[in-house]
Amino acid sequence: MNIHDYIATGILEAYALGELSEREREEVEKNLAQYPELREELARVEETQERLLMDAAVTPKASIKTNLFALIDKASSTEAKVVAMPSSSIRLWKYAAAASVTIALIASLQAYYYWNKWRASETSLTELTAQNQRMAQDYNRVNQHLDKMENDLKNVVNNPAFKRVMMMGTPNAPQSMAYVYWNESSKEVYLSIQSLKQLSKDNQYQLWAIIDGKPVDAGVFDGDVAGLLKMKDIASGAAAFAVTIEPRGGKPTPTLETMQVMGNVVKV
Amino acid sequence: MSRLRGKDRLALEYLYDHYSGALYGAILRIVRKEDIADEVLQDVFLKIWDKFESYDSTKGKLFTWILNVARNQAIDKTRSREISKEKKTTGIDNVVNRIDRSEYLEQGIDDIGVKDILKNLPEEQRFVVEHLYFKGYTQSELADEHNIPLGTIKTRLRLAMKQLRTTLGVT
Repeated sequence: MNIHDYIATGILEAYALGELSEREREEVEKNLAQYPELREELARVEETQERLLMDAAVTPKASIKTNLFALIDKASSTEAKVVAMPSSSIRLWKYAAAASVTIALIASLQAYYYWNKWRASETSLTELTAQNQRMAQDYNRVNQHLDKMENDLKNVVNNPAFKRVMMMGTPNAPQSMAYVYWNESSKEVYLSIQSLKQLSKDNQYQLWAIIDGKPVDAGVFDGDVAGLLKMKDIASGAAAFAVTIEPRGGKPTPTLETMQVMGNVVKV
Repeated sequence: MSRLRGKDRLALEYLYDHYSGALYGAILRIVRKEDIADEVLQDVFLKIWDKFESYDSTKGKLFTWILNVARNQAIDKTRSREISKEKKTTGIDNVVNRIDRSEYLEQGIDDIGVKDILKNLPEEQRFVVEHLYFKGYTQSELADEHNIPLGTIKTRLRLAMKQLRTTLGVT
């Protein structure tokens, strides 16, 4: 229910004026119990109505009050044989009234306090749920990563069909090192970076296979990848592999001056 | 029982001192005759006295409850007088009865305080507030007699009462 639209229909004013049918009134009362915003608005509507009529007040003749209370006193004395009311009970009533006002006040304060607390805990619950979700995602990512590494190990590194080519750093980068795992019969090539320096965003590493003395593109990669990288297939006949630094996306022919690592395929 | 009564009497006296003026103002504007207004006011307080335990504070303010008792009582009274008049003057329709009602207008009642409070309202909103609060019309009567959809009456009253909050200092 849109409370704003509901209020805008003027239903609360009609309610305060006692103009609603039994069914409508019950519906409003149900909604009042449910929506604090509606209760607040009704309180303002009632306050306005009260002040409007207070401002338009006309004092009745004093005799009306006298007659009224004479009637009431007569009614109650015949009805219940009233024992003269001890004044202490009036005091008692005053205390009771004061006490009930106090209790009502405390109860509303408490209600407000708990409502606030409830709202706060709901917010932290939402935060916790989000955190939990993030952690689950992280966990999944790590898990997948682990699975991949296990697979890599089983299918590539420990697989005798793959030849390991150790590529050592050139004078350009003596500290660098990387492995190529090459399956000559299936042509699959995997790369494992041991140590390669960080590149700027504009550049990428490019792997080359040297076949019959000519470099053949085996794909580009970024320097910060862990685990095995699947590279382009290389047909049999590669004598060596090398890595150069090229503009992002790679080039058809290698820039030999930027060669970082290189290694020969060991003939069995 | 007597103690219960005792409580009520004091409560009733408090209510009377507090609200009789506002209620009498409303009743007088509806019934438009002082002696009848006196009678209705007394009936209203007797009724409040009788039905006090049926008031439920979760459903609204005490004044709202009392006002509704007063307004219903005053409207009922006017209707029964109109009906008895109609019996004497068969063939005269409702509109004439409405005009008839203004016959009872006592001098100055219309002007007491109300005009000032309502003067800033747009004409159509003032019309609704005046008729509902100070002329004893129900919303459906007003809708029927002036060919205004009931929904329009409700929203106009809503707009008027919202505007009056400023005038009356309701926050």
